[in-house]
Amino acid sequence: MTASQLTGGINRRSFLSFLAVGAAVAGVPSLLTACTAGSGGPAAAPGAVTAANLPAYVPVEYAKPDFPSVNGSTPGYVTMPERLVAAFDTPPGSGGTYTAMTPLWTTIPSTEGNAYFDAVNEAIGTTVKFQISDGNTYGDKLAAVLASAKDLPDWVCVPSWNVPPRFPQAVEALFQDLTPFLAGDKVKKYKNLANIPTDAWRICTFDDKLYGLPFPGEVVGNAIFYRADIFAELGIEAAPTTADDLLDLAKEVTDPSKKRWGANDLWLAANMMFGVTPADRWKQGDAGKLIHRIETEEYRAALEWQTKLYASGAVHPDAVADRPEAGKPNFEAGNSLIAADGLGAWPEALDRMKGVNPDFDMRPFPVFAAGGGDPVLWKGSPANIFSFLKKNDDTAKIEELLAVADFLASPFGTAEFNLINFGVEGTHYELDENGLPAPTDRAASEVAGTYVFLVDPPVVNAKVQYPDYVEAFCTWQADAAQYLAEDLFYGMQISEPAQFAALKAPFEALEKDIARGRKTMADLDEAVATWKSSGGDELRAFYQEILDNK
Amino acid sequence: MSAATSPVSTSSRAAAGPPSSASSPPRHKVPWTTRLKRDRSLLIMVAPAVLLLAVFAYVPMLGNVVAWQDYSPYVGILQSPFVGWANFERIFTNPLFLDAVLNTLIITAFQLVFFFPVPIVLALLLNSVLTPGLRTTIQSIVYLPHFFSWVIVVTIFQQIFGGAGLVASRLREAGYSGFDLMTNPDTFLLLITAQSVWKDAGWGIIIFLAALATVDPQLYEASVVDGAGRWRRMWHVTLPALRPVIILLLILRLGDALTVGFEQLILQRGAVGTEVAEVLDTFVYYQGVVNGDWAFAAAAGLVKGLVSLALVLGANKLAHLVGEAGVYQKA
Repeated sequence: MTASQLTGGINRRSFLSFLAVGAAVAGVPSLLTACTAGSGGPAAAPGAVTAANLPAYVPVEYAKPDFPSVNGSTPGYVTMPERLVAAFDTPPGSGGTYTAMTPLWTTIPSTEGNAYFDAVNEAIGTTVKFQISDGNTYGDKLAAVLASAKDLPDWVCVPSWNVPPRFPQAVEALFQDLTPFLAGDKVKKYKNLANIPTDAWRICTFDDKLYGLPFPGEVVGNAIFYRADIFAELGIEAAPTTADDLLDLAKEVTDPSKKRWGANDLWLAANMMFGVTPADRWKQGDAGKLIHRIETEEYRAALEWQTKLYASGAVHPDAVADRPEAGKPNFEAGNSLIAADGLGAWPEALDRMKGVNPDFDMRPFPVFAAGGGDPVLWKGSPANIFSFLKKNDDTAKIEELLAVADFLASPFGTAEFNLINFGVEGTHYELDENGLPAPTDRAASEVAGTYVFLVDPPVVNAKVQYPDYVEAFCTWQADAAQYLAEDLFYGMQISEPAQFAALKAPFEALEKDIARGRKTMADLDEAVATWKSSGGDELRAFYQEILDNK
Repeated sequence: MSAATSPVSTSSRAAAGPPSSASSPPRHKVPWTTRLKRDRSLLIMVAPAVLLLAVFAYVPMLGNVVAWQDYSPYVGILQSPFVGWANFERIFTNPLFLDAVLNTLIITAFQLVFFFPVPIVLALLLNSVLTPGLRTTIQSIVYLPHFFSWVIVVTIFQQIFGGAGLVASRLREAGYSGFDLMTNPDTFLLLITAQSVWKDAGWGIIIFLAALATVDPQLYEASVVDGAGRWRRMWHVTLPALRPVIILLLILRLGDALTVGFEQLILQRGAVGTEVAEVLDTFVYYQGVVNGDWAFAAAAGLVKGLVSLALVLGANKLAHLVGEAGVYQKA
């Protein structure tokens, strides 16, 4: 529930760049929160990875991007290559049937008699039976499934923000160690998996063993969006350059008598503007001492800004009532005009609004710092979603699933990518005069992005059906990418000992209480003091040691 | 609870004869083999129920052992280390737990006064409606909300009483702004009680209507002949007839005193904050499932179970003291 509330708006590739603006997940058990102590065996130093255990990187490119990557930003495509490459001559699978569990943030389709699933499974040569759950409550289901080993599907998607405490224990007990299959040159057997950058694999390692298959992430994952069409209608030039500007803007456009409020909850935005250290991460103080995000000035400033925002009356009442699931509908209906969300919310909204409101236009504000000047954007994790294979002594089965993963990781420019992302030509999309896929009505009810959550090629923006959007997206991100900074523990998979799991629990509720004026900053001071005395300082020492060994 | 400690139970009062001698009653002299033979068919009949209880209630209860462990579901009960009473110590030193208990008790006490009597009053009112058609219609209408899930009920309330809801928009047109019942912690108690009344009061009348149907009409006729008016009939005939049912439900409610609408509260916890909306059940959920502190949550659940048991036993005893049968009594 907590996780779902926080990630309510998150979609494929749109999920919060948690390491970048991790505030949104404070209080949610994170990937880093778990127990290695007592899990047996001499554990490697937390976060340390032997290079030889990682797959080799052999990049392939099938199509030149129309908008190349700048400072690590996501490359974009607005045209289809003349000829699609067939990455596989024959289906890689060997006819097995496997179950897979993934989240989905749109209406869950029927998997029976679904032409899309049938077509992909046929092309793979393996039947993947999906158990799809609502992404907003996926964490609840995952916690229960992981705790009952016999209900575990063969292939499980685990978003990093849904990871339960003690997760490394679960990984070790339940999932297949993929090191013997993929380490070093062994990955070359799977050319599309070998195309995934090393950073993304590094964060899939637990206790120095490779367990996960990555869904590579973007360097900037979130943005502050506004309804460009409605702002134009109101004749308001919207280009805030400071946090106060944004607040004034939200107040200005608020008019409850027209059922119009300035903003949804902007905690995510506050974290971006004030450059708050990512969730579970630390920054170094002047004396070199580690400072947890909840102790930082930035965190306090972001909270104080939130309080002002809520007090101004510019926040939609549904957001005040903490109903994050109402956020997207309110934004799309024009009931709230500014929303902070994952970038993937953008194309999703375009999909939904295409038939409903042709004028619908959402845009991200260019990034800015709270006090003006250059902002600090914390670089997004190389992978925010992982999938794991259930332990199996039959290596042939693991190899079949890895062959399937190889198929699913086919990059843009291949026929396989088109099948997975757009469905079957003639059934789910027609090519328009520019050779771009135009989705049919059937696509909306059948094509559900579930395969992508099992494994995905390096991130690109290939929403060729929305060229304007791809251009706006790539331009915006290329601009934002110049402000990127890596946090102290960037890209490391750190497993915190279990006794620290509950430490941050009070802060999520506190953030909401303070924003809504039910509690004050004095309560925060008290909570930080409790945090320190009940383990926070030990946790600091734990991270200091990792930093010293780095 | 033995017969000796409950001297005022109905059975002993009913036994108007001389006090029983110190020696055990004669039925105890029958050897158990004979009793087994005599009660064989009854025992066979009860066996499936006992088996069901054992398999689905008592065996799973053994899992409560995790409350004394540093339990992780991934390593299992057998491998998790025992930590003695540490989890219980943490519970009683945790201010959040005590807050949750306090909130739970406040909600229970408030609803005992403002929710519990509502179905009784409704049943009495409905009982006085004589036209069968009208009565069935009213009954159906008040039953209906019981079948809505809490998600729907909370959404309906949000749409009507929320800051962007029906009432707020009308008030705004009339020049009053700032109405938002759903996010006001001060009136939260009233809000959730109103929701409960709307949803479940209608359903609650069923059992009272059944009790009312058993009242002998001759009693009413006799009291009318004696000159009793409407209120006297209710006081001297109807309410005494309902009393055993009311007491029974009150005891059951007390046993549930520490259980207050988990779904209802978890859905609205964020809107008003944990200060007023964190109750024992939501506390256990967040600690156990969300924070993965399963053992701590199990210990909290166990404490809750023990307190509930004590409440039931206490309430039952109280019922005996005022001369009612209660939930059960020793033969």
